[in-house]
Amino acid sequence: MAALPARVGIGSSPRKRDGAALLTGRALFLDDHRPEGLLHAVVVRSEVAHGRIRAIDTAAAAAAPGVALVLTGAEAAKHAGPVPYFIDPAARGGNRTDIRCLQVDKVVHVGQPVAAVVAASRHEAQAAADLVRITYDVLPHVLDARAAMAQDAPRLYEDWPGNVVAHNRYGSGDPDAALAAADVVVEGELRIARTTTAPIEPRGYLASWQGDRLTVHASCQNPHQLRWMLSVSLGVDESRIRIVTAKVGGSFGLKMQGHPEETLVALLSLLADAPVKWVEDRRETLMAGAREQVHRFRVGATSDGRITGLVNEIVADIGALTAQAGWAMPNMSATTQPSGYAVQDVRVELDIVCTNKPPCNAARGFGKDAAHFVMERAVDLVARELGMDPAEVRRRNFVREFPYRTATGLNIDSGDFDGLLDKTLDAVDYAGIRRGQAESRERGRYLGVGLGFELTPESSDSPGTFVSGFDTTTVRMSVTGMVTVLTGVTSPGGGNDTGIAQIVATELGVPIEWVELVQGDTDRCPNGFGNFSGRSMVVGGGSATLAARDVRAKLLAVAARLFETSEVDIRDGIASGGGRELPVPEVARALLTRAFAIGDIEPVLESTRAYKPGNINHVPDELGRIQPYPTYSSSLHAAVVEVDAETGKVTLADYVMTHDCGTMINPALVEGQARGAVTMGLGSALSEQLVFAADGSLASNRFKSYLLPRAGDIPLLRMIHQVTPSPFAMHGNKGAGEAGVGGAQAAVANAVEDALAPFGVTVRGVPLSPPNVLALIDEARP
Amino acid sequence: MKLTVNGVEHEIDVDPRTLLVHAIREQVGLTGTHVGCLTGDCGACTVVVDGQTTKSCSVLALSAEGSAVETIESLADGDDLHPVQQAFWDEFGFQCGFCLPGMLLTAKELVESTPDPTDDDILRAIDGNLCRCTGYNTIVAAVRKAARS
Repeated sequence: MAALPARVGIGSSPRKRDGAALLTGRALFLDDHRPEGLLHAVVVRSEVAHGRIRAIDTAAAAAAPGVALVLTGAEAAKHAGPVPYFIDPAARGGNRTDIRCLQVDKVVHVGQPVAAVVAASRHEAQAAADLVRITYDVLPHVLDARAAMAQDAPRLYEDWPGNVVAHNRYGSGDPDAALAAADVVVEGELRIARTTTAPIEPRGYLASWQGDRLTVHASCQNPHQLRWMLSVSLGVDESRIRIVTAKVGGSFGLKMQGHPEETLVALLSLLADAPVKWVEDRRETLMAGAREQVHRFRVGATSDGRITGLVNEIVADIGALTAQAGWAMPNMSATTQPSGYAVQDVRVELDIVCTNKPPCNAARGFGKDAAHFVMERAVDLVARELGMDPAEVRRRNFVREFPYRTATGLNIDSGDFDGLLDKTLDAVDYAGIRRGQAESRERGRYLGVGLGFELTPESSDSPGTFVSGFDTTTVRMSVTGMVTVLTGVTSPGGGNDTGIAQIVATELGVPIEWVELVQGDTDRCPNGFGNFSGRSMVVGGGSATLAARDVRAKLLAVAARLFETSEVDIRDGIASGGGRELPVPEVARALLTRAFAIGDIEPVLESTRAYKPGNINHVPDELGRIQPYPTYSSSLHAAVVEVDAETGKVTLADYVMTHDCGTMINPALVEGQARGAVTMGLGSALSEQLVFAADGSLASNRFKSYLLPRAGDIPLLRMIHQVTPSPFAMHGNKGAGEAGVGGAQAAVANAVEDALAPFGVTVRGVPLSPPNVLALIDEARP
Repeated sequence: MKLTVNGVEHEIDVDPRTLLVHAIREQVGLTGTHVGCLTGDCGACTVVVDGQTTKSCSVLALSAEGSAVETIESLADGDDLHPVQQAFWDEFGFQCGFCLPGMLLTAKELVESTPDPTDDDILRAIDGNLCRCTGYNTIVAAVRKAARS
C-alpha cells in the first residue's frame, strides 16, 4: 500500500483513510455482519393505499418452513410504544400522529408495515411473508396534495381537521404593495416531481440482545439519536443500548433515524430470542420520497432588473407523516427564499400536506434545493420579461453586505456572490456560448446555457430537537503516542473522518498515520448527533480542534519540564526546545509512566470538547423569526445543454460550478461532495421521478424505471473554488455536501428554456425528461 | 455443488433457486460482493466468471459450477493493491465504497482488454455500474490512470 502524502495540513488532500478496506472488499457494511444463530426478517406491507385492517391471518405463515416468529401490529403494540419524532410537528404548532413500528388498525399508504416474519433464511422469511393474509376495509385515498386539501378529501388521520400538517407563513415587509408598484410582475407555477435519495446500499438493521442489553448494527447516520429513540419506543434505559453504524454505503439523508423498522427489528430480536437482521430490497428503498412540491409565485421588478417583491405559495406533498426528519424539509424550501438576493418584501405561504403515499424522508438539500430552483427560475423569467441577460439580473440583486438578515430571518454570514458569477461566466465562456447560439440555431441545433445560484444554509440547530448545531469529540493519546479520536459525527461516505484526522494531526503536530478515528459507536464515542446539514467538518472538526489543542498544551507543558525551557514546539511528531529533541511518544510516556517524577502536571493526555459555532440565534425577533444556521455556503452553476427537439432528449455539453464553502479542510473531498450533489440535482432535473399508479402503488420501483444518472449522462463537472471564510466557524469553513442539488436543477431548467427559446417554451417543472420536453415544445407550437 | 471462487473450491449446499451473489456472500462467506438491487441494474454485485464480468444477482449459483469465479477479494496481492485499486484511491474514485467492488472489476476488465481506452470506452464500460456518491468524474479519471499504469 502506498503511503499517504507527507503533507497533511488543512487545505491538503490526503486520500480517504479507510480506502484500503473499501478497495479490497474487507469493509463490513450492515449486511456483511452474520453472527451465529442469525435470523432474517421480512416486513409484510400494506397493498392498499388507505384502509382499515379487518383481519390478519398468520396461521399459514407461522407454520411455514424455518419460521420463528410472525408479528402483527396488535402484538407489537403490547411491547413497543410509538416511535418518537426526530422533529415533532406539535413542537412546530402542527398536527401529529403516533408512528408505530407496525400498523395496528389502519394503513395510510401502500407499503406501510403491517406485519413481520422472522425465519432462518431470508428466502424462508419472504416465502412465509407471502402467506400472511390481510383483509382490509378499503377507504378512498388521495395521492395529490392539492386534492388532499379539499374539505371533502379522504382524511389520513381522522382526528386532524384536514390533511395539512402545518400551514406556515414566512417573510417581512409589504410584498403586495411592492408588487403593485413594480414595473413588471412575472408569475409562474413550478412543479418539482417526487424523487428519492437511492443510496446504492439499502437501509438495514441487525439487532441482538445479550440478557437485558441491546446491540443494534444499523445502516444509519445518527447513532446517538437512534439510541434515544429505541430507548423511548422500547422502554429500555439508554445505558443498556449500544448502536454501531460503522460502515454506511451512502445515505444522503435517507438513513437518518425515525423509521418504523428500527424499533421493529429490535423488537423482533427480543421476541425471537435471537439476533435478527432486516435489509430492505430496492423496491422498499425506492418508496422513500425526497421532495415533491408545487410553487405558485409572483415576482415584481423595476425596469432595470431590481427585484422588489416576492410572493410564493408552496404546497408540499410529504406523503404519510413520518417520525423521521423528512416531513420538515419544506420549511427550508420556504425560509431559504429569497436566497442571496436583497429582497425584503417577501411572503412565502407554505402548506405541508399529507397524501396516501409513502413518507418523504430527509434528503440531501433538505428542501433548500426547491428554494433555489424556484428563485432561479423567477430571476430568469424577470430577465426574459425585461429582455435583459439573466446573468445581469442576478448581479443587480445580489446581497453584498454581510452579515445580512434575509426577509425570512436567516443571517447570511459571508459571501462574494459577484465573484462566483464572474468566475462561472468566465469558465463557461458565457459570451462565447451566446455568440455561438445563434449560429447553432440556424443549423437546427438547440443549444442553451442556464445559470443557477445557490445559497446553502448549513450546520443547522433546531431548538428542542435532535437537529443540533454542536458536536463533541474526544482526543486521546496513549502511552505509545498513538492518537485515538472519538467523535459524535459520522461519515456515511463523504470522508469527514479523513478531514477530522487531518485537523487533529495538524493541531497536535504528529503524522496523520498516528491518528485513529472512531465514529458511529455509542459505547465508545461521546454524545453526538451524527451527520446532516453539512455539519460534520464545522462542528466535528471544531470540537476535534479544541480537544487536540488541550492535548497539545499538555504535551508542551511536559516537554517544557523535560527540556527545562518554556520555548518548546511540536511538529512532525518531534518535541523540541532548548536545543534538544524528543519524539512525541517519549513525551507521552514520560507523563504517563513518570507522573510523580514530572511534578504537578495532571497525568492525563485526553480531552473531550464540544464546539458551538457562532451566528445561531433562537430568540425570535419582532417578526417571530429565528436564525438556526451558523454558515452559508454559496455556489453558482452554469449548465450548457443541447436539446434534441425531435426526441426531447437533453444532453449536457458542459457544466461549471463555482463553489464557496469557506476554508476547505480537504479540497478533494469537498469536490467529491459537490460533484455528488450536482449529479443528484442533474438526475432530478432530467430523469428521476417516482411514479405512482392510480391505486397508490409505486410504478417506478426499480432502477429500470427510476433512472439514476449513469456515467455516460454526466459530463466533466468543472469545479472552481472561491474561499470566503466564515467569521463564525473555527476554521472559517462552511458546510459542504448539500450545495449542488438545487443549483443543478435550476441551471439545467434555465438552460433548457434558453435552448428552446425559438419555440417560446416556458419550463414549468422537473424532471425535463424526453416526454416532458416534447410536451413543452408541442404546447408552445402555434 | 462445487463452486470455485478465487481459486479455492468450495463444496456448498444450495437451493436450485439460489443466486450466485447469495452463494458467494452467504455460503462461501465473501462479503465484498454487494447487493444493491437484485435486478441487474446497479452492478454492485459484479464478479468475474471465466474471465468475463457478470452481475452475480442475475445468474443462478448452479450455472457457475465448473467455472472460475473471481471476486473483489482476489484483486490485491496481500497488502499490495492492484493498479486499478491504487488508481481509484489516488483519484478519489469512491466515497462510501459500496459500488466500488463492482466498479473495480469492471474497470479491470476494460484496462486488460483495451490498453489505451478513450473516455467513451471508459464511459461505455462503467455505464452498467451505478454510483450515487461521486458523479463518476473521478471514477473515469481513475480508470484512465489505471489504463496508463
